[in-house]
Formats: sequence, structure tokens, C-alpha cells
Amino acid sequence: MTQVHPETQWPRWEIFKQDSEKRPYQAVGSVHAGDPDHALLTARNVFVRRPAAVSLWAVREADILIATPEEAASRPELFQTPGEAETYHVGVKKSHKRSMTFVDLVGTVDASGPGDALRQAKEQHADALAWLVFPSSAIVRTDDDPGTVESWFAPARDKTYKQQQYYGVIGKHVGELKRSGRMPGRATEEAPGAGHRGDDHPHDAFPAEQTAHEVKR
Amino acid sequence: MTASVPVLSDTQQVVLIRKLTALADDEIILAQRGGEWTGHAPILEEDIALANIAQDELGHAGLYLELRRALDGHDPDALAFTRSADEFTCARFVELPKGDWAFTMLRQYLYDAYEALWLDAARQSSYEPLAEVANKAFREERFHLQHTALWVERLALGTPESMRRTQAALNALWPFVGQLFQPVTGEDELLAAGVLPDLDAVKTRWDGLVLPHLTVQCGLSLPPAGAEQPGRDSHTEYLVPLLEEMQRVYRAHPDAELW
Repeated sequence: MTQVHPETQWPRWEIFKQDSEKRPYQAVGSVHAGDPDHALLTARNVFVRRPAAVSLWAVREADILIATPEEAASRPELFQTPGEAETYHVGVKKSHKRSMTFVDLVGTVDASGPGDALRQAKEQHADALAWLVFPSSAIVRTDDDPGTVESWFAPARDKTYKQQQYYGVIGKHVGELKRSGRMPGRATEEAPGAGHRGDDHPHDAFPAEQTAHEVKR
Repeated sequence: MTASVPVLSDTQQVVLIRKLTALADDEIILAQRGGEWTGHAPILEEDIALANIAQDELGHAGLYLELRRALDGHDPDALAFTRSADEFTCARFVELPKGDWAFTMLRQYLYDAYEALWLDAARQSSYEPLAEVANKAFREERFHLQHTALWVERLALGTPESMRRTQAALNALWPFVGQLFQPVTGEDELLAAGVLPDLDAVKTRWDGLVLPHLTVQCGLSLPPAGAEQPGRDSHTEYLVPLLEEMQRVYRAHPDAELW
């Protein structure tokens, strides 16, 4: 667990993003923020300025219980973690691919506490690489009124450079420059892939290795 | 695009160009001030957030200058990066140095509230291209306003030190804020034609939004109103060095095709 330095460090919040109404909430990363409203505002800036989204959840790190199969085996007391009896959200990590977290929220369980929720998550998703549970009451969520959706999420649709690999030379699409032979230096030895069309669902559209590869350069 | 082709008289065109340029100049200069925090904001998340806000404001300047280009053919980049300080028509309010975080957040808040309300009114413009731009920019401005209102509140209600800094920022900014609501020369005619919003009405709404937030919600004291502000052709000593830095690369490479 991360050590918290109360004098210098704001709490950490895990952010879950929903790309569209029909898709699951997915963990996208974390922000540090002083309070729930601040967490959502910074999350919007950090994670959905360009990618598509219709809703964000923020959950304080302290409210989340996470375990890998190895941790579950070596620390059975995790399944005794006490807490409130209520509905818990369950997230499972399904891939070790880099650059995305690949934790989807897959449903809820009614549990006597976080430990019990973790136990049920493990039973229902035996092959996961990690389980994550948090009580429903811990969620701070963006409003779903039209005004919020319009001002928080709609502007992203009009933005260019929605994915990392679109960042070539600002002003021209990198693929366009390559095709016309105007990309300086290493351009000619680059792998194909930068010519992808815009897509709002990185999990679907791009193999993670490729994205990580682009970042590494 | 189904925009009807607006018909403006020659005089109206001149005034609209003047207004669009003033609006864009405010955005450009404020964006530059916001950009000065990149890599220096209190935490990474706010660094990103302020860079986003600054980039949005610059984007709005681009929208206004594209509207101008449609009228007189001037290139937006050339307007932003080759005009000298005495050709800029920004308000002195946006020229002031970035100051501390309280000053930055409070200025951005006062500006966001003004811009959001102006854009909200401009969505009704009889000049269709402006109404479209206002619709687009309004969404972003609403979000900016939420973010900066949150910060002003937390700084004002935070510690004695943050309260002192926020009040000092308000004292420093207040005399300059009225200039945002000054019409440009000839603006009356475009108001009558329904092309531009009524600045007095925008100011009334701004007062209704901002004054209770600052005083009731945040516990700040309103300084006395400043003296009548000079026009937008008069600048502080801070504009020249700002433009020197902002325009340096463009001026060094006037023929650059790619940025």
C-alpha cells in the first residue's frame, strides 16, 4: 500500500470511465485531489479531454480492496477484511498488456464486507489476474444531466489527436506527412500503424503493444 | 453547414472585425499566461488542467480569428504572431503577470464567468457563424468555470495564508475587470442588429453570479470599484515582454510550413 503523507499529499482517487452507455466502466488511472468534486474535475482534465466518455466515477483509494491470485493465496486474511454490508462493485484485470489498466467493472455483489466481496469476486472470476472491490456508497460520480454531459464530455468529440500515435508534427496528420515523404529523419523506417482512423475505444481499436511501442519512442 | 449567408453593411463588418479581434486577443494573452504554468503548477493534475484550459482559450481565439478571416482574409497565425503590442487589443486584465496560484485561479474564474455568459448570449446572434462558434465554445467555458469556481472557493476558505492571497488577488484584479465589459467603438450598431450580445445584460448576469460567490460563498471582501478604464489600445508594461516570448519562434521562422 502506498504510504500517505498527510501534510503534503492529497488522497488518491481511482478513476473509472464509461466510454458509452452500453460499455462497462473501466479503470483508467488515478488522480490526487482534496475532495470528491475536485477529484472528478481533475479526472475529466487528465483522462477525458480527448477520449470519449459519458460518465466518470472516482473512488478513494482507501475504499478499494485489491488482490492478485498470489496475494489471495498468501494472505487469506484479505477475505476477512471488515466493513459495511452492502452492494460492492467488482472489477477484474484481464490482461498484462501495457499502457492501459485493463480493469473492467463487471458487476456487483451483495456482501457482508469488502473481504466477502473479494471472496465472491474470486469465485465468479477465477481466471482474473487481479480482483478489485469497493462499496457502491464510495462512488463519487459525474452528473448525467444534459448540461454536464455537454460541457464535460461533448467537446472531446471535436478534438484532433485523440490517440498518442496521432502526435506527429502538429498541424499535419503524421501519416499524411509520411506518404508525401515530408517526414524528417527516421520517418521512413517507422512501422505502419500511424495511419489509423480516429477511434474512441482504445481497448478495441489498438493492440496495446503497438500503443506502448509508440509511447516508448 | 446550413448557415445562411449573413449580410453586413461595410460599417458593420469593420466593427465586427474589431470585436472579433478584441475577443481573440483576450483569449490569446490569457492562454499565454496560463501556459506559463506548464510544468510549474502545484500538482501534476492541475498542471494538466490549466494547460487544457489555456489550450481551450487559444482554440476560442482561433475560432474568432477564423470568423475574421472569412470577412477580411487575414491569416489567424499572422495576426497572433506578428502584430506588435500597440496593435493588440486585449484588455489589461489579461496582461497582468501570472502571479501566484490564487491570482491565476481568481483571474481565470472572473474571466470564465464573463466569457461563459457572453457566449451564452452570443448563441442567439443573428450572425449565424458567430452563433455556431458560441455554441461550441460555451460548452468548454462552462466546464472551465466549474473548475475555477471550485478553486477560488477552496483557496478562500482554505488556510489563513490562502485566504490572504486570494483576497490580495481580488484587490489587484478588481480595478481591471470592468474593461471586459467595455464595448468596442461602434459596437452599439451590431447590438441593435442582434449580431452581438448586450454587454450591460451580460454584466448584470455576471454580477448575479460572481458577487455572491465571492462574498457569501467564499467570504471575500469586494474592493471598491476601479476608476474608469482606458480603452483597449492602452496596455500595461507587461504586454511587450509577453509578446516577445510568445512570438519569438514564429518571427524567427516566418516561412515555416509545419509546427
